[in-house]
Amino acid sequence: MNRMAKETNILRRLWRRWDTRLCLLVIAVYCCAAVYGEAVYRYYRWTDQTPSYNQVHETARYVAPAFVRVFSGTPASAGQPLYLLGSDNLGRDVLQRLGQGPRIAFHVGIITSLIAIPLGVILGCLGGYFGGRVGSAVVWLCATVASMPGLLFILAVAMVVGQGLLGIYLGIGLTTWVSVCRNVRGEVIKHRGRAYVQAAQVLGYSHARIMFRHILPNVAHIILIAFSIRFPASVATEVFISFLGIGVQGEPSWGIMINNARLRLWQGVWWEMTFVTLAIFALVLAFNHLADALRDLLDPALRTEQV
Amino acid sequence: MPNPVTPLLEVCGLKTWYPVKKGVFARTVGHVHAVDGVDLTLYRGETLGIVGESGCGKSTLARTILRLEKPREGTVSLGGQNVLALRGEALRAYRRTVQVVFQDPHASLNPRHTVLELLTEAMLVHGLVTRDTCREAAARLLADVGMPDDILDRYPYAFSGGQRQRLCIARALALGPQLLICDEAVSALDLSVRAQVLNLLQDLKAKHGLSYLFITHDIGVVQHLADRIAVMRNGKFVETGSADDVLNTPTHPYTRLLLRAVPHIGIPLPEEADVSSETVPATAS
Repeated sequence: MNRMAKETNILRRLWRRWDTRLCLLVIAVYCCAAVYGEAVYRYYRWTDQTPSYNQVHETARYVAPAFVRVFSGTPASAGQPLYLLGSDNLGRDVLQRLGQGPRIAFHVGIITSLIAIPLGVILGCLGGYFGGRVGSAVVWLCATVASMPGLLFILAVAMVVGQGLLGIYLGIGLTTWVSVCRNVRGEVIKHRGRAYVQAAQVLGYSHARIMFRHILPNVAHIILIAFSIRFPASVATEVFISFLGIGVQGEPSWGIMINNARLRLWQGVWWEMTFVTLAIFALVLAFNHLADALRDLLDPALRTEQV
Repeated sequence: MPNPVTPLLEVCGLKTWYPVKKGVFARTVGHVHAVDGVDLTLYRGETLGIVGESGCGKSTLARTILRLEKPREGTVSLGGQNVLALRGEALRAYRRTVQVVFQDPHASLNPRHTVLELLTEAMLVHGLVTRDTCREAAARLLADVGMPDDILDRYPYAFSGGQRQRLCIARALALGPQLLICDEAVSALDLSVRAQVLNLLQDLKAKHGLSYLFITHDIGVVQHLADRIAVMRNGKFVETGSADDVLNTPTHPYTRLLLRAVPHIGIPLPEEADVSSETVPATAS
Protein backbone atom coordinates (compact mmCIF):
# COMPACT_ATOMS: atom_id res chain seq x y z
CA MET A 1 0.00 0.00 0.00
CA ASN A 2 1.49 3.36 -0.84
CA ARG A 3 0.87 6.89 0.37
CA MET A 4 -2.03 7.56 -1.99
CA ALA A 5 -3.77 4.37 -1.01
CA LYS A 6 -3.42 5.33 2.62
CA GLU A 7 -5.14 8.65 2.12
CA THR A 8 -8.04 7.15 0.18
CA ASN A 9 -8.20 4.50 2.84
CA ILE A 10 -8.86 7.15 5.48
CA LEU A 11 -11.60 8.63 3.34
CA ARG A 12 -13.12 5.18 2.89
CA ARG A 13 -13.07 4.56 6.61
CA LEU A 14 -14.77 7.89 7.23
CA TRP A 15 -17.37 6.97 4.64
CA ARG A 16 -18.07 3.59 6.19
CA ARG A 17 -19.36 5.05 9.47
CA TRP A 18 -22.81 6.57 9.22
CA ASP A 19 -22.09 9.60 11.39
CA THR A 20 -18.94 10.68 9.60
CA ARG A 21 -20.62 9.92 6.28
CA LEU A 22 -23.37 12.36 7.25
CA CYS A 23 -20.73 14.95 8.11
CA LEU A 24 -19.05 14.48 4.75
CA LEU A 25 -22.40 14.83 3.00
CA VAL A 26 -23.26 17.99 4.92
CA ILE A 27 -19.88 19.49 4.09
CA ALA A 28 -20.31 18.50 0.46
CA VAL A 29 -23.69 20.26 0.37
CA TYR A 30 -22.14 23.39 1.83
CA CYS A 31 -19.32 23.19 -0.70
CA CYS A 32 -21.85 23.07 -3.52
CA ALA A 33 -23.73 25.98 -1.97
CA ALA A 34 -20.50 27.95 -1.73
CA VAL A 35 -19.65 27.31 -5.38
CA TYR A 36 -23.22 28.18 -6.40
CA GLY A 37 -23.11 31.34 -4.27
CA GLU A 38 -19.81 32.36 -5.86
CA ALA A 39 -21.28 31.82 -9.33
CA VAL A 40 -24.37 33.91 -8.50
CA TYR A 41 -22.19 36.64 -7.00
CA ARG A 42 -19.91 36.75 -10.02
CA TYR A 43 -22.84 36.74 -12.41
CA TYR A 44 -24.44 39.80 -10.87
CA ARG A 45 -21.14 41.60 -10.65
CA TRP A 46 -20.44 40.84 -14.28
CA THR A 47 -23.87 41.99 -15.49
CA ASP A 48 -23.67 44.97 -13.15
CA GLN A 49 -27.10 44.38 -11.58
CA THR A 50 -28.21 44.47 -7.99
CA PRO A 51 -27.92 40.84 -6.89
CA SER A 52 -31.27 39.16 -6.34
CA TYR A 53 -30.34 38.54 -2.72
CA ASN A 54 -29.91 42.26 -2.21
CA GLN A 55 -33.10 43.30 -4.00
CA VAL A 56 -35.33 45.37 -1.77
CA HIS A 57 -39.13 44.91 -1.84
CA GLU A 58 -40.61 47.68 0.24
CA THR A 59 -44.07 46.12 -0.02
CA ALA A 60 -43.05 42.70 1.18
CA ARG A 61 -41.25 43.28 4.48
CA TYR A 62 -41.29 40.56 7.10
CA VAL A 63 -43.19 38.03 5.02
CA ALA A 64 -43.42 34.74 6.89
CA PRO A 65 -41.91 31.60 5.32
CA ALA A 66 -44.09 30.02 2.62
CA PHE A 67 -44.88 26.88 4.62
CA VAL A 68 -46.02 28.96 7.57
CA ARG A 69 -48.31 30.97 5.32
CA VAL A 70 -49.80 27.75 3.94
CA PHE A 71 -50.60 26.54 7.44
CA SER A 72 -52.03 29.84 8.66
CA GLY A 73 -53.98 30.39 5.44
CA THR A 74 -52.56 33.83 4.64
CA PRO A 75 -52.88 34.35 0.87
CA ALA A 76 -49.82 35.43 -1.08
CA SER A 77 -50.15 38.87 -2.52
CA ALA A 78 -49.87 39.11 -6.27
CA GLY A 79 -46.48 39.70 -7.91
CA GLN A 80 -44.64 38.91 -4.70
CA PRO A 81 -41.77 36.41 -4.71
CA LEU A 82 -42.39 33.02 -3.11
CA TYR A 83 -40.24 33.65 0.02
CA LEU A 84 -39.74 30.00 0.92
CA LEU A 85 -37.99 31.00 4.14
CA GLY A 86 -39.62 34.38 4.51
CA SER A 87 -38.26 37.87 3.92
CA ASP A 88 -36.32 40.31 6.11
CA ASN A 89 -36.72 43.92 7.14
CA LEU A 90 -36.20 45.18 3.57
CA GLY A 91 -38.22 42.48 1.89
CA ARG A 92 -35.12 40.56 0.79
CA ASP A 93 -35.40 36.81 0.35
CA VAL A 94 -33.93 35.01 3.38
CA LEU A 95 -33.29 31.81 1.42
CA GLN A 96 -31.21 33.59 -1.21
CA ARG A 97 -29.26 35.50 1.38
CA LEU A 98 -28.75 32.34 3.37
CA GLY A 99 -27.34 30.71 0.24
CA GLN A 100 -24.64 33.38 0.08
CA GLY A 101 -23.46 32.49 3.58
CA PRO A 102 -21.35 29.45 2.67
CA ARG A 103 -19.53 31.48 0.05
CA ILE A 104 -18.22 33.91 2.63
CA ALA A 105 -17.77 31.21 5.26
CA PHE A 106 -15.60 29.12 2.93
CA HIS A 107 -13.65 32.17 1.83
CA VAL A 108 -12.87 32.94 5.43
CA GLY A 109 -12.20 29.31 6.43
CA ILE A 110 -9.87 28.62 3.52
CA ILE A 111 -8.00 31.91 3.30
CA THR A 112 -7.37 32.17 7.04
CA SER A 113 -6.15 28.56 6.97
CA LEU A 114 -3.81 29.46 4.15
CA ILE A 115 -2.35 32.17 6.36
CA ALA A 116 -2.42 30.41 9.73
CA ILE A 117 -1.36 26.86 8.82
CA PRO A 118 1.83 27.63 6.86
CA LEU A 119 2.83 30.15 9.52
CA GLY A 120 2.16 27.68 12.34
CA VAL A 121 3.80 24.77 10.55
CA ILE A 122 6.97 26.63 9.62
CA LEU A 123 7.42 28.22 13.05
CA GLY A 124 6.53 24.93 14.77
CA CYS A 125 9.05 23.02 12.66
CA LEU A 126 11.80 25.56 13.32
CA GLY A 127 11.08 25.72 17.04
CA GLY A 128 10.78 21.98 17.47
CA TYR A 129 13.73 21.01 15.33
CA PHE A 130 16.31 23.49 16.50
CA GLY A 131 15.26 23.88 20.11
CA GLY A 132 17.54 26.10 22.16
CA ARG A 133 17.26 29.80 21.39
CA VAL A 134 15.14 29.34 18.29
CA GLY A 135 12.77 27.12 20.22
CA SER A 136 12.53 29.64 23.04
CA ALA A 137 11.84 32.42 20.55
CA VAL A 138 9.00 30.44 18.99
CA VAL A 139 7.52 29.57 22.37
CA TRP A 140 7.78 33.21 23.40
CA LEU A 141 6.07 34.35 20.21
CA CYS A 142 3.27 31.81 20.69
CA ALA A 143 2.75 32.84 24.28
CA THR A 144 2.72 36.53 23.36
CA VAL A 145 0.14 36.13 20.61
CA ALA A 146 -1.93 33.73 22.72
CA SER A 147 -1.98 36.12 25.64
CA MET A 148 -3.66 38.82 23.57
CA PRO A 149 -7.43 38.47 23.43
CA GLY A 150 -7.98 37.27 19.86
CA LEU A 151 -10.96 39.48 19.26
CA LEU A 152 -9.10 42.63 20.28
CA PHE A 153 -6.30 41.78 17.91
CA ILE A 154 -8.75 41.19 15.08
CA LEU A 155 -10.43 44.52 15.87
CA ALA A 156 -7.06 46.26 15.80
CA VAL A 157 -6.14 44.69 12.46
CA ALA A 158 -9.56 45.59 11.07
CA MET A 159 -8.98 49.18 12.14
CA VAL A 160 -5.64 49.28 10.38
CA VAL A 161 -6.59 47.70 7.07
CA GLY A 162 -10.13 49.04 7.08
CA GLN A 163 -13.43 47.25 7.33
CA GLY A 164 -14.23 44.31 5.13
CA LEU A 165 -12.99 40.82 4.49
CA LEU A 166 -9.27 41.63 4.31
CA GLY A 167 -9.25 42.67 7.96
CA ILE A 168 -11.01 39.44 8.90
CA TYR A 169 -8.62 37.28 6.89
CA LEU A 170 -5.56 38.89 8.41
CA GLY A 171 -7.01 39.19 11.90
CA ILE A 172 -8.09 35.56 12.18
CA GLY A 173 -5.14 34.24 10.21
CA LEU A 174 -2.57 36.00 12.36
CA THR A 175 -4.06 34.91 15.69
CA THR A 176 -5.03 31.28 15.17
CA TRP A 177 -1.67 29.94 14.01
CA VAL A 178 -0.63 29.54 17.65
CA SER A 179 -2.38 26.23 18.29
CA VAL A 180 -1.13 24.80 14.99
CA CYS A 181 2.37 25.90 15.87
CA ARG A 182 2.27 24.36 19.35
CA ASN A 183 0.94 21.05 18.08
CA VAL A 184 3.47 20.84 15.27
CA ARG A 185 6.32 21.85 17.57
CA GLY A 186 5.44 19.14 20.08
CA GLU A 187 5.23 16.51 17.38
CA VAL A 188 8.50 17.61 15.75
CA ILE A 189 10.28 17.42 19.12
CA LYS A 190 9.03 13.85 19.41
CA HIS A 191 10.41 12.97 15.99
CA ARG A 192 13.67 14.88 16.32
CA GLY A 193 15.05 12.30 18.72
CA ARG A 194 14.10 9.33 16.55
CA ALA A 195 16.86 7.36 14.94
CA TYR A 196 15.75 8.07 11.39
CA VAL A 197 16.30 11.81 11.93
CA GLN A 198 19.70 11.20 13.47
CA ALA A 199 20.60 8.91 10.61
CA ALA A 200 19.60 11.72 8.25
CA GLN A 201 21.89 14.10 10.14
CA VAL A 202 24.75 11.64 9.94
CA LEU A 203 24.10 11.21 6.20
CA GLY A 204 24.80 14.94 5.89
CA TYR A 205 21.38 16.22 4.85
CA SER A 206 20.64 19.91 5.27
CA HIS A 207 18.42 21.03 8.12
CA ALA A 208 15.75 22.20 5.70
CA ARG A 209 15.70 18.80 4.00
CA ILE A 210 15.42 16.95 7.30
CA MET A 211 12.68 19.26 8.55
CA PHE A 212 10.52 19.38 5.49
CA ARG A 213 11.22 16.13 3.65
CA HIS A 214 11.76 13.79 6.58
CA ILE A 215 9.90 15.08 9.63
CA LEU A 216 7.04 17.06 8.10
CA PRO A 217 5.43 14.13 6.22
CA ASN A 218 5.37 12.26 9.51
CA VAL A 219 3.51 15.05 11.31
CA ALA A 220 1.17 15.84 8.41
CA HIS A 221 -1.80 14.32 10.21
CA ILE A 222 -1.54 17.13 12.77
CA ILE A 223 -2.04 19.64 9.98
CA LEU A 224 -5.10 17.84 8.65
CA ILE A 225 -6.64 17.72 12.12
CA ALA A 226 -5.71 21.35 12.77
CA PHE A 227 -7.45 22.37 9.56
CA SER A 228 -10.65 20.54 10.41
CA ILE A 229 -10.70 22.09 13.88
CA ARG A 230 -9.88 25.67 12.99
CA PHE A 231 -12.06 25.89 9.89
CA PRO A 232 -15.39 25.99 11.79
CA ALA A 233 -13.81 28.14 14.48
CA SER A 234 -12.83 30.78 11.95
CA VAL A 235 -16.28 30.62 10.35
CA ALA A 236 -17.83 31.28 13.75
CA THR A 237 -15.39 34.12 14.39
CA GLU A 238 -16.29 35.73 11.09
CA VAL A 239 -19.98 35.50 11.96
CA PHE A 240 -19.34 37.18 15.27
CA ILE A 241 -17.21 39.95 13.83
CA SER A 242 -19.71 40.66 11.06
CA PHE A 243 -22.40 40.68 13.74
CA LEU A 244 -20.43 43.42 15.49
CA GLY A 245 -20.46 45.31 12.23
CA ILE A 246 -16.74 45.49 11.48
CA GLY A 247 -16.58 42.56 9.11
CA VAL A 248 -18.24 42.02 5.80
CA GLN A 249 -19.96 45.05 4.28
CA GLY A 250 -22.87 45.01 1.85
CA GLU A 251 -22.88 41.25 1.42
CA PRO A 252 -25.14 38.84 3.25
CA SER A 253 -22.76 37.16 5.65
CA TRP A 254 -24.42 35.02 8.27
CA GLY A 255 -23.25 37.39 10.98
CA ILE A 256 -24.84 40.37 9.26
CA MET A 257 -28.08 38.43 8.88
CA ILE A 258 -28.13 37.57 12.58
CA ASN A 259 -27.50 41.19 13.43
CA ASN A 260 -30.34 42.14 11.10
CA ALA A 261 -32.72 39.55 12.46
CA ARG A 262 -32.15 40.74 16.00
CA LEU A 263 -34.15 43.93 15.32
CA ARG A 264 -37.61 42.40 15.13
CA LEU A 265 -37.06 39.10 16.87
CA TRP A 266 -39.08 40.27 19.86
CA GLN A 267 -42.01 40.94 17.56
CA GLY A 268 -42.13 37.34 16.45
CA VAL A 269 -40.03 37.60 13.27
CA TRP A 270 -38.26 34.36 14.08
CA TRP A 271 -37.45 32.91 10.69
CA GLU A 272 -34.33 34.78 9.69
CA MET A 273 -32.59 34.16 13.02
CA THR A 274 -33.66 30.51 13.14
CA PHE A 275 -32.53 29.52 9.68
CA VAL A 276 -29.21 31.33 9.85
CA THR A 277 -28.44 29.79 13.20
CA LEU A 278 -29.37 26.35 11.94
CA ALA A 279 -27.15 26.79 8.89
CA ILE A 280 -24.15 27.73 11.03
CA PHE A 281 -24.94 25.01 13.55
CA ALA A 282 -25.01 22.27 10.92
CA LEU A 283 -21.73 23.35 9.30
CA VAL A 284 -19.83 23.76 12.55
CA LEU A 285 -21.19 20.52 13.99
CA ALA A 286 -20.30 18.56 10.85
CA PHE A 287 -16.75 19.91 10.85
CA ASN A 288 -16.21 19.40 14.56
CA HIS A 289 -17.48 15.86 14.48
CA LEU A 290 -15.32 15.10 11.46
CA ALA A 291 -12.31 16.58 13.23
CA ASP A 292 -12.91 14.28 16.19
CA ALA A 293 -13.23 11.25 13.97
CA LEU A 294 -10.11 12.23 12.04
CA ARG A 295 -8.11 12.51 15.19
CA ASP A 296 -9.29 9.14 16.41
CA LEU A 297 -8.40 7.66 13.07
CA LEU A 298 -5.05 9.30 12.41
CA ASP A 299 -3.35 9.67 15.74
CA PRO A 300 -3.29 6.13 17.11
CA ALA A 301 -2.82 4.72 13.62
CA LEU A 302 0.43 6.59 13.22
CA ARG A 303 1.60 6.00 16.74
CA THR A 304 1.61 2.23 16.33
CA GLU A 305 2.66 2.46 12.67
CA GLN A 306 -0.08 0.11 11.55
CA VAL A 307 -0.63 1.48 8.08
CA MET B 1 43.50 -8.25 9.14
CA PRO B 2 44.37 -5.10 11.01
CA ASN B 3 47.09 -2.96 9.68
CA PRO B 4 48.60 -1.42 12.78
CA VAL B 5 50.50 1.24 10.87
CA THR B 6 47.94 3.90 9.91
CA PRO B 7 45.41 5.01 12.50
CA LEU B 8 42.09 5.97 10.94
CA LEU B 9 40.32 7.45 13.91
CA GLU B 10 41.98 8.93 16.96
CA VAL B 11 40.07 10.10 19.99
CA CYS B 12 41.99 11.91 22.69
CA GLY B 13 40.77 12.79 26.17
CA LEU B 14 37.19 13.05 25.03
CA LYS B 15 34.64 14.29 27.56
CA THR B 16 30.94 14.69 26.84
CA TRP B 17 28.86 15.87 29.74
CA TYR B 18 25.14 16.44 29.84
CA PRO B 19 23.96 19.32 31.99
CA VAL B 20 21.44 18.58 34.73
CA LYS B 21 18.97 21.47 34.91
CA LYS B 22 16.69 22.35 37.75
CA GLY B 23 14.26 25.01 38.82
CA VAL B 24 12.21 27.66 37.07
CA PHE B 25 15.15 29.15 35.23
CA ALA B 26 16.64 25.78 34.26
CA ARG B 27 19.84 26.51 36.12
CA THR B 28 22.58 23.98 35.50
CA VAL B 29 23.16 22.29 38.84
CA GLY B 30 25.54 19.57 37.74
CA HIS B 31 26.61 17.29 34.94
CA VAL B 32 26.19 13.70 33.95
CA HIS B 33 29.66 12.57 32.93
CA ALA B 34 28.52 10.38 30.05
CA VAL B 35 31.93 10.21 28.43
CA ASP B 36 34.66 11.15 30.83
CA GLY B 37 38.08 11.11 29.26
CA VAL B 38 38.28 8.46 26.58
CA ASP B 39 41.37 7.77 24.48
CA LEU B 40 40.89 5.54 21.52
CA THR B 41 42.76 4.63 18.37
CA LEU B 42 41.17 2.75 15.52
CA TYR B 43 43.42 1.44 12.77
CA ARG B 44 42.44 1.03 9.16
CA GLY B 45 40.67 -2.28 8.48
CA GLU B 46 40.30 -3.01 12.15
CA THR B 47 37.23 -3.83 14.22
CA LEU B 48 37.20 -2.26 17.65
CA GLY B 49 34.56 -3.56 20.00
CA ILE B 50 33.38 -1.29 22.78
CA VAL B 51 31.66 -3.20 25.55
CA GLY B 52 29.92 -1.99 28.63
CA GLU B 53 26.65 -2.01 30.49
CA SER B 54 23.70 0.19 29.61
CA GLY B 55 24.29 3.83 30.46
CA CYS B 56 28.07 3.61 30.60
CA GLY B 57 28.48 6.16 27.80
CA LYS B 58 29.10 3.92 24.80
CA SER B 59 26.41 5.49 22.66
CA THR B 60 27.35 9.01 23.72
CA LEU B 61 30.89 8.26 22.62
CA ALA B 62 29.57 7.17 19.22
CA ARG B 63 27.28 10.18 18.98
CA THR B 64 30.14 12.52 19.80
CA ILE B 65 32.33 10.97 17.13
CA LEU B 66 29.41 11.38 14.72
CA ARG B 67 29.05 15.03 15.76
CA LEU B 68 25.54 14.52 17.09
CA GLU B 69 26.72 15.73 20.50
CA LYS B 70 29.18 18.47 21.32
CA PRO B 71 32.02 17.32 23.55
CA ARG B 72 33.21 19.37 26.45
CA GLU B 73 36.86 18.56 26.02
CA GLY B 74 39.12 16.45 23.91
CA THR B 75 39.76 15.86 20.24
CA VAL B 76 38.52 13.54 17.56
CA SER B 77 40.59 13.27 14.44
CA LEU B 78 40.15 11.24 11.31
CA GLY B 79 43.20 10.72 9.16
CA GLY B 80 44.91 13.56 11.00
CA GLN B 81 42.03 16.00 10.47
CA ASN B 82 40.27 17.57 13.45
CA VAL B 83 36.70 16.31 13.14
CA LEU B 84 35.19 18.66 15.71
CA ALA B 85 36.13 21.77 13.73
CA LEU B 86 34.78 20.62 10.37
CA ARG B 87 32.27 22.80 8.57
CA GLY B 88 30.58 22.96 5.20
CA GLU B 89 32.06 20.82 2.47
CA ALA B 90 34.70 19.32 4.75
CA LEU B 91 31.95 18.16 7.12
CA ARG B 92 30.08 16.64 4.20
CA ALA B 93 33.20 14.79 3.19
CA TYR B 94 33.45 13.49 6.77
CA ARG B 95 29.84 12.33 6.51
CA ARG B 96 30.82 10.30 3.47
CA THR B 97 33.67 8.69 5.39
CA VAL B 98 31.96 7.77 8.65
CA GLN B 99 28.52 6.22 8.83
CA VAL B 100 26.38 4.64 11.51
CA VAL B 101 23.91 1.81 12.04
CA PHE B 102 21.62 2.38 15.01
CA GLN B 103 20.09 -0.08 17.40
CA ASP B 104 16.38 0.10 16.62
CA PRO B 105 15.73 -0.90 13.01
CA HIS B 106 12.08 0.14 13.35
CA ALA B 107 12.88 3.74 14.25
CA SER B 108 15.87 4.12 11.94
CA LEU B 109 13.97 4.12 8.66
CA ASN B 110 11.61 6.92 7.76
CA PRO B 111 8.22 5.20 7.43
CA ARG B 112 7.18 7.64 4.69
CA HIS B 113 10.02 6.86 2.28
CA THR B 114 10.33 3.92 -0.08
CA VAL B 115 13.39 1.70 -0.05
CA LEU B 116 14.56 3.44 -3.21
CA GLU B 117 14.31 6.87 -1.55
CA LEU B 118 15.95 5.62 1.63
CA LEU B 119 18.94 4.23 -0.21
CA THR B 120 19.48 6.85 -2.90
CA GLU B 121 18.69 10.12 -1.16
CA ALA B 122 22.12 10.33 0.42
CA MET B 123 23.86 9.55 -2.86
CA LEU B 124 21.82 12.19 -4.66
CA VAL B 125 22.45 14.78 -1.96
CA HIS B 126 26.19 14.12 -2.11
CA GLY B 127 26.13 14.08 -5.91
CA LEU B 128 27.45 10.52 -6.20
CA VAL B 129 24.76 9.39 -8.65
CA THR B 130 22.22 11.06 -10.92
CA ARG B 131 18.49 10.43 -11.02
CA ASP B 132 18.99 8.14 -14.02
CA THR B 133 21.54 5.87 -12.42
CA CYS B 134 20.26 5.82 -8.85
CA ARG B 135 18.03 2.77 -9.35
CA GLU B 136 20.96 0.59 -10.37
CA ALA B 137 23.03 1.96 -7.51
CA ALA B 138 20.27 1.07 -5.07
CA ALA B 139 19.98 -2.42 -6.54
CA ARG B 140 23.75 -2.87 -6.08
CA LEU B 141 23.46 -1.84 -2.44
CA LEU B 142 20.63 -4.29 -1.89
CA ALA B 143 22.69 -7.05 -3.48
CA ASP B 144 25.51 -6.15 -1.08
CA VAL B 145 23.32 -6.78 1.92
CA GLY B 146 21.70 -9.87 0.42
CA MET B 147 18.27 -8.54 -0.43
CA PRO B 148 16.41 -8.82 -3.74
CA ASP B 149 16.07 -5.69 -5.87
CA ASP B 150 12.32 -6.00 -6.45
CA ILE B 151 11.61 -4.32 -3.11
CA LEU B 152 12.72 -0.85 -4.20
CA ASP B 153 9.21 0.59 -4.26
CA ARG B 154 8.06 -0.83 -0.96
CA TYR B 155 7.85 0.91 2.40
CA PRO B 156 9.85 -0.05 5.51
CA TYR B 157 6.87 -1.42 7.42
CA ALA B 158 6.75 -4.34 4.98
CA PHE B 159 10.01 -5.73 6.38
CA SER B 160 11.04 -7.62 9.48
CA GLY B 161 13.57 -6.33 11.99
CA GLY B 162 16.46 -8.21 10.41
CA GLN B 163 15.55 -7.04 6.92
CA ARG B 164 15.22 -3.47 8.12
CA GLN B 165 18.63 -3.66 9.73
CA ARG B 166 20.02 -4.86 6.40
CA LEU B 167 18.40 -1.81 4.80
CA CYS B 168 20.03 0.39 7.44
CA ILE B 169 23.39 -1.14 6.64
CA ALA B 170 22.79 -0.66 2.92
CA ARG B 171 21.91 2.98 3.53
CA ALA B 172 25.06 3.47 5.59
CA LEU B 173 27.14 1.92 2.81
CA ALA B 174 25.56 4.16 0.16
CA LEU B 175 28.17 6.86 0.61
CA GLY B 176 31.09 4.43 0.49
CA PRO B 177 32.31 4.99 4.06
CA GLN B 178 35.62 3.82 5.47
CA LEU B 179 34.39 3.61 9.04
CA LEU B 180 31.08 2.13 10.08
CA ILE B 181 29.93 2.72 13.63
CA CYS B 182 27.54 0.01 14.77
CA ASP B 183 25.72 1.31 17.81
CA GLU B 184 24.12 -1.79 19.30
CA ALA B 185 23.35 -2.71 15.71
CA VAL B 186 22.31 -6.29 16.48
CA SER B 187 20.93 -5.92 20.01
CA ALA B 188 17.31 -5.63 18.88
CA LEU B 189 17.47 -8.72 16.67
CA ASP B 190 16.70 -12.24 17.71
CA LEU B 191 19.51 -14.74 17.94
CA SER B 192 19.45 -16.41 14.51
CA VAL B 193 18.97 -13.13 12.66
CA ARG B 194 21.70 -11.58 14.78
CA ALA B 195 24.15 -14.21 13.60
CA GLN B 196 23.20 -13.59 9.97
CA VAL B 197 23.67 -9.85 10.30
CA LEU B 198 27.01 -10.32 12.06
CA ASN B 199 28.18 -12.57 9.24
CA LEU B 200 26.99 -9.99 6.74
CA LEU B 201 29.01 -7.29 8.52
CA GLN B 202 32.03 -9.59 8.46
CA ASP B 203 31.64 -10.13 4.70
CA LEU B 204 31.15 -6.44 3.99
CA LYS B 205 34.28 -5.61 5.92
CA ALA B 206 36.38 -7.71 3.60
CA LYS B 207 34.54 -6.57 0.48
CA HIS B 208 34.62 -2.82 1.09
CA GLY B 209 37.70 -2.57 3.28
CA LEU B 210 35.70 -1.17 6.18
CA SER B 211 36.74 -0.47 9.71
CA TYR B 212 34.20 -1.00 12.45
CA LEU B 213 33.57 0.64 15.74
CA PHE B 214 31.31 -1.98 17.21
CA ILE B 215 29.39 -0.91 20.27
CA THR B 216 27.49 -3.46 22.29
CA HIS B 217 26.50 -4.35 25.81
CA ASP B 218 26.82 -8.03 24.98
CA ILE B 219 30.41 -9.20 25.06
CA GLY B 220 29.31 -12.39 23.36
CA VAL B 221 28.57 -10.46 20.19
CA VAL B 222 31.99 -8.89 19.76
CA GLN B 223 34.07 -11.87 20.64
CA HIS B 224 34.07 -13.37 17.16
CA LEU B 225 34.01 -10.05 15.35
CA ALA B 226 36.41 -7.70 17.10
CA ASP B 227 40.17 -7.50 16.69
CA ARG B 228 40.48 -5.38 19.78
CA ILE B 229 38.09 -4.77 22.62
CA ALA B 230 37.71 -1.80 24.92
CA VAL B 231 35.69 -2.24 28.08
CA MET B 232 33.88 0.87 29.18
CA ARG B 233 32.44 1.74 32.53
CA ASN B 234 31.07 5.04 33.84
CA GLY B 235 32.38 6.98 30.87
CA LYS B 236 35.91 5.61 30.99
CA PHE B 237 37.77 2.72 29.39
CA VAL B 238 38.74 0.31 32.13
CA GLU B 239 40.51 -2.18 29.92
CA THR B 240 41.72 -2.14 26.33
CA GLY B 241 43.51 -4.86 24.48
CA SER B 242 43.41 -7.41 21.73
CA ALA B 243 40.26 -9.49 21.71
CA ASP B 244 42.08 -12.64 22.76
CA ASP B 245 43.76 -10.96 25.71
CA VAL B 246 40.64 -9.29 27.00
CA LEU B 247 38.51 -12.39 26.64
CA ASN B 248 40.99 -14.96 27.90
CA THR B 249 42.98 -13.07 30.47
CA PRO B 250 40.83 -10.20 31.65
CA THR B 251 42.70 -8.02 34.09
CA HIS B 252 39.94 -5.77 35.35
CA PRO B 253 37.32 -7.28 37.66
CA TYR B 254 34.56 -5.53 35.71
CA THR B 255 35.59 -7.33 32.52
CA ARG B 256 35.42 -10.62 34.35
CA LEU B 257 31.97 -9.71 35.54
CA LEU B 258 30.84 -8.97 31.98
CA LEU B 259 32.29 -12.24 30.75
CA ARG B 260 30.47 -14.17 33.39
CA ALA B 261 27.22 -12.47 32.35
CA VAL B 262 27.31 -14.10 28.91
CA PRO B 263 24.71 -16.89 28.89
CA HIS B 264 26.07 -20.37 28.27
CA ILE B 265 24.50 -23.36 26.63
CA GLY B 266 25.10 -26.70 28.31
CA ILE B 267 27.13 -27.44 31.43
CA PRO B 268 28.14 -24.43 33.50
CA LEU B 269 31.75 -23.62 32.79
CA PRO B 270 34.43 -23.46 35.41
CA GLU B 271 35.65 -19.98 36.25
CA GLU B 272 38.90 -20.10 34.27
CA ALA B 273 37.65 -21.88 31.17
CA ASP B 274 38.17 -20.62 27.62
CA VAL B 275 34.96 -18.64 27.39
CA SER B 276 35.46 -17.24 23.93
CA SER B 277 35.09 -20.44 21.97
CA GLU B 278 32.27 -21.87 24.03
CA THR B 279 29.74 -19.08 23.91
CA VAL B 280 29.22 -18.58 20.20
CA PRO B 281 25.53 -19.26 19.57
CA ALA B 282 24.82 -22.54 17.87
CA THR B 283 23.46 -20.80 14.80
CA ALA B 284 26.44 -18.54 14.30
CA SER B 285 28.31 -20.91 12.04
